[in-house]
Amino acid sequence: MNFYLKLIFFILIFVWVLGIFIEVLIPQFNNLAFLYPYLDIIYSHVCHQQPEKILSINGHNLLVCSRCAGIYLGSFVSALILLFVPIIKVNNIKYLIFASVPMFIDVILYSLGVYTYSKPVALFSGFLFGIAGIIYIYKGLQILLAEKREEEN
Amino acid sequence: MKKYLSPLIVGFGAGVLSIVPVAKSFGCCLIIPVAAFIALLLEQKANNDYSKIEIKQGLLFGLLTGLYAALFGTILDFFITFITKNNDIVATYSELQKVINQFPISENLKDNVMNILGNVVESIRTSGISLIYTFSVLVNNLVLNSVFGMLGGIIGAQILNSRNQKNIT
Repeated sequence: MNFYLKLIFFILIFVWVLGIFIEVLIPQFNNLAFLYPYLDIIYSHVCHQQPEKILSINGHNLLVCSRCAGIYLGSFVSALILLFVPIIKVNNIKYLIFASVPMFIDVILYSLGVYTYSKPVALFSGFLFGIAGIIYIYKGLQILLAEKREEEN
Repeated sequence: MKKYLSPLIVGFGAGVLSIVPVAKSFGCCLIIPVAAFIALLLEQKANNDYSKIEIKQGLLFGLLTGLYAALFGTILDFFITFITKNNDIVATYSELQKVINQFPISENLKDNVMNILGNVVESIRTSGISLIYTFSVLVNNLVLNSVFGMLGGIIGAQILNSRNQKNIT
């Protein structure tokens, strides 16, 4: 994957992540208030937005739950790092599985009532999954480009 | 058509799950990517073909799963909203009003933003239909579900290839 393709992905992820912070941004950029109703609808389709699971910064809520915020922030950090370093060689899927285990354990345990929902745990476990997820998505795109090149030859 | 039966079936399931409140809270943003993975898995099982899946196929199955989920999800959402004259936007309207009122912005700007929301909510409450809402949900679902589906397809193909490779060796 060349730098420009990775840059496009990074910008898309950045814009998506910026959207979840709209409430935090509105006091600085007032005109963004017009986007608020639309963004609320958009993010409501990818997240349940349960108030007790949503993080807030200075009293301003994010538009997605802690876990989703973690996934997107992890993806953002991963995409930022991968802009400057070559894609890490991952030959099998075990790293993704390892990275998703904390998230699934957390979902199972709090769903069973072993403990109550913890925003930091959800954020961190989502963050791990987001970091690994982007690496595998980039790897998949790399394979896709190779498949395309093979077809052309 | 038969070739792409699994994305249709799984897409329908995902479309339903994405609007059922309890199921939605469990799957959250992972419903569509997981559905794309299941579509690929079902395709392999149905054809009893465990050869390497091309990422291109993963992308296509993910895209189709996402599109079907968007279509079914939007249709179901439309009918549920039409029958109950209620949905997430109506239910959270008062909360949204409070949030917008707290924004440190001019009263004029607040009124304009409230009007956009108020018109949508009012027409859902009275007739059960809001064209703006339905259109935005459809476009939103088509775009987001396609993207999330393709991402799920890319990762799903790698998971299945890794698993199948292990089974061969």
